[in-house]
Amino acid sequence: MWNERLIACARAYPSGVLTVVEDSGYPRSVRCVVEFDDARGLILFSAPSPDVLGQQGLACLLFHRHNADLGGQHELLVKGELREEAGVLIMRPGDFLTGSGRQDTDRMPVAGSPVDIIRFMMLGRRKARQYLAKRGKPWSPRPWGKMLRYLDEP
Amino acid sequence: MGTLHLPPEVEAVFREFRTCEFTTVNRQGQPLTWPTEPFYDALGGRLIVTSSIAFPVKAYNARRHPQVAVFFSDPTGAPLTEPPAVLVQGDAIVTELVDDPPWSYAMFKESILRQPRTRSFVSNPLARRLFTFQFQRLAIFVQPRRILVWPWGDMGRTPTELEVRYVE
Repeated sequence: MWNERLIACARAYPSGVLTVVEDSGYPRSVRCVVEFDDARGLILFSAPSPDVLGQQGLACLLFHRHNADLGGQHELLVKGELREEAGVLIMRPGDFLTGSGRQDTDRMPVAGSPVDIIRFMMLGRRKARQYLAKRGKPWSPRPWGKMLRYLDEP
Repeated sequence: MGTLHLPPEVEAVFREFRTCEFTTVNRQGQPLTWPTEPFYDALGGRLIVTSSIAFPVKAYNARRHPQVAVFFSDPTGAPLTEPPAVLVQGDAIVTELVDDPPWSYAMFKESILRQPRTRSFVSNPLARRLFTFQFQRLAIFVQPRRILVWPWGDMGRTPTELEVRYVE
């Protein structure tokens, strides 16, 4: 489904990372400039890298950015199907995913408001409990004293 | 395996890029790419990415379908001038990061140096307790099988393929 709010976020990026799966089973990524066809709900690659010309099938398109110190993180992934139409490579989007799970912004929780951070903390704690329940034993405590001392070693 | 024999500009990308675009393939054959903090284990000749146990999908995918890709195409924050873009296709091994191996300390330190604001966070016992899941992680080791390089990150060119060669 075309998500207008997330497409508006995607338009802010100069390029995205398109990934397909090769016949060998390995994923292959390239960075591409994209265009959005709102009327038809399609993403167009009018000047794709030679590497992805002729590729068809399941694909994904990632947009992300961060500051030099890894603050201000934003990320948005479009899952879809790639095909060639009249000589142009196009993607028909399926799902739009964000790192925060939201469908109205690509901002990561740590780049958001205190409410976003608290929501993220509660979600993370709940999901970790599920993992540990399935694991059947607790996670051993981290050696924080040793780790923090290591930070100050030359 | 030993260390990877790499041109210096490619090794610099592995060491200095703050994020990579890491792809796994799910049960439906759908590639899923997310920005991830990469670490280069030079002695082991492998790349390492990690995932919180709270959000383990990429690790589960890599266990089921070990062919993964690590793409370095966003040099933001890296102290490099006109670096190449590099794609590594490799085989993944996933393990719980529980025994605090020596390289995990180096990885922790590198992560804090890259994100200086997080120093006060990890130094605060209450923050560590509330966000324990951020420090309970799965490690995904990627052994390179194929390395493609685009000089200056120019995707309009055909990439150069490097021979993946290990030095004892």
